[in-house]
Amino acid sequence: MTLVYDGTYEGFLTLVYEVYYTKLHVKKIQREKTEVLLFEEVFEVQTDTSKAQKVLSALKQKFSAKNFATITNVFLCDSKEFEKPLLDFIILGFKDKRNLNNINFPAILYMRNLEKELFRVVYRMYGFVRFKEIEDGTLYAKIETKYNVLYFLGKHFLNRLGDSDFIIHDIQREFAFVKYKNEIDIRHVSSFDEPEYSKDEEKFRNLWKTFFKSVAIEKRKNKKLQQQFVPLMYRTYMSEFEELNS
Amino acid sequence: MKISIYNKLSILSDAAKYDVSCSSSGVEEQKKYGGIGATENSGICHTFTSDGRCVSLLKVLFTNFCIYDCAYCINRASNDRKRVAFSPRELADLTINFYKRNYIEGLFLSSGIIENEDRTMELLINALKILRYEYRFDGYIHLKLIPGASKELIEVACTLASRVSSNIELPSSKGLKLLAPQKTKNQLLEPLKQARDITLEKSSKPIPMSTQMIVGATSDSDLDILKITSVLYDKALLKRVYYSAYVPVNEGKNLPILKNKMPPIQREHRLYQADWLLRFYGFSYTELFTNEIQHLDTEVDPKTFWALNNLHLFPVDVNKVSKEVLIRIPGIGIRGALKIIQARRYKTLSIDDLKQLKISIKRAKYFIISKGKYQKEVPMYKENIKQVLLAPKKIIQPTLFDENYSVFTGEL
Repeated sequence: MTLVYDGTYEGFLTLVYEVYYTKLHVKKIQREKTEVLLFEEVFEVQTDTSKAQKVLSALKQKFSAKNFATITNVFLCDSKEFEKPLLDFIILGFKDKRNLNNINFPAILYMRNLEKELFRVVYRMYGFVRFKEIEDGTLYAKIETKYNVLYFLGKHFLNRLGDSDFIIHDIQREFAFVKYKNEIDIRHVSSFDEPEYSKDEEKFRNLWKTFFKSVAIEKRKNKKLQQQFVPLMYRTYMSEFEELNS
Repeated sequence: MKISIYNKLSILSDAAKYDVSCSSSGVEEQKKYGGIGATENSGICHTFTSDGRCVSLLKVLFTNFCIYDCAYCINRASNDRKRVAFSPRELADLTINFYKRNYIEGLFLSSGIIENEDRTMELLINALKILRYEYRFDGYIHLKLIPGASKELIEVACTLASRVSSNIELPSSKGLKLLAPQKTKNQLLEPLKQARDITLEKSSKPIPMSTQMIVGATSDSDLDILKITSVLYDKALLKRVYYSAYVPVNEGKNLPILKNKMPPIQREHRLYQADWLLRFYGFSYTELFTNEIQHLDTEVDPKTFWALNNLHLFPVDVNKVSKEVLIRIPGIGIRGALKIIQARRYKTLSIDDLKQLKISIKRAKYFIISKGKYQKEVPMYKENIKQVLLAPKKIIQPTLFDENYSVFTGEL
């Protein structure tokens, strides 16, 4: 049958609970009820905090820290339909935790690969995030990413930007990682105005573009290779891919 | 006349671009100066240029003034070029502002020789001092040592930089005599030796160092090049050797004429692959060559090249052999080998199981046995296998099945 849940972490944990206690036979899992599902049995999961809590503590108890992290990490891959393999992963783990290293199970391999893919996105973004300096010195970056990597980016830049205040703004998910003085926070941002940038901002952005252009070796030009390393979807906010305007 | 910072940056980064090293990896994270900045052990690429190379560092020359006249170098004294120089302050400001905006991991600083070696080294050190002491910058700094600078200055440079290097330029003394008669091999190796000795006095680990060789400007063979490379690795002098396909920027009677006027990029690529085999796959350079063959094959990768020359060692049983043997199978890398070892604990693997594990068997299948079976289509002779490996790729139309499959396996 097809299960429908609300797309939240708690909702999914409730789903796990229902699968165990109602002994459901799961064919498909959807985040939202789409069109009318003809000829299909549908079960709508009602998110329930206490059921979710029970599953959560069972997971923490039965799964190693690393495997538990895999579950939460895969949950950040929100543009993928990871639910069915994730459920299989959990069921296999509850049965026997040794199963979780057996990559001959398609669900285990899928989970391992998806987690790796998440970290590839994180790792690429470590390099591709571009900050602009706002009037008061705060560094502000907009991002659009395939998966929800805001937390990882925030942690990374906390470590490297010293005392500087910064904001990383996930435009699509409408969340922002904010570091201001001693406050560190992930906040919901529904609307915002384009900030005023510092007087040197444009100068350094143009210097960067100048540099970017002049380090390329014309005789070795290979746009295909470039695109393999910086796929178009990453380029939206990367200043060097804007046109030069100085 | 005042030259704008845009012009300076454009000229001095253009002049530095033939230096291929751009890695910011291999430096343990440590905060020494307590300000902005951090290093990442695995290195980070911040963008890729239109030629597909990673940009990790602000790679510039301090100046393109130079008192030397090396035949292959764009900044040689006899070239009529616009000459400019940064001030240490300008360069430090540029670095810190690029860093803040996450354009770069740090600085890669090299220079032409202005006035003399010591004067040049001092200018570089001044820029580094502003970055480290004034801005308390903890990011990555790669400094090119100036061959011929005094030992004291090299010592200061080693304490400020994250990594230092000095380019060997050409693989043999013969080549140097021809193209850079003012330099000798010993002179070029000297700063590396000094840097190693200086840092070893202070701690158990020498400062990470690298070098670069130009490939295709002289008649040196791949064997010659990899021999030097492995000597340098063995002596623990270097962490990385870079190869740079010779790009003609000058004309001169001793310089080679390139086929199609294109730099030997494929050869460079094969050398990097071979370098990888030396560093991570337990190969020694002698294994890769025979008495007759002193060049790598540009058509196939060096591991396949080696396997084809050593077919008596194959096929091997993927379910039985050790990791060391697995990683020597063409097409199977370290990750693939680890996956096989992990998966074979639970079952005997067939070819289909390998595919399921997303291990590429395109090349590997001619070199392995799985479940007692060896592929039947191609006879096990060097020529036959090489022929199928080089066969043009079939164009596969995506099917509905592929689409479902890709959603499931998480690959686009």
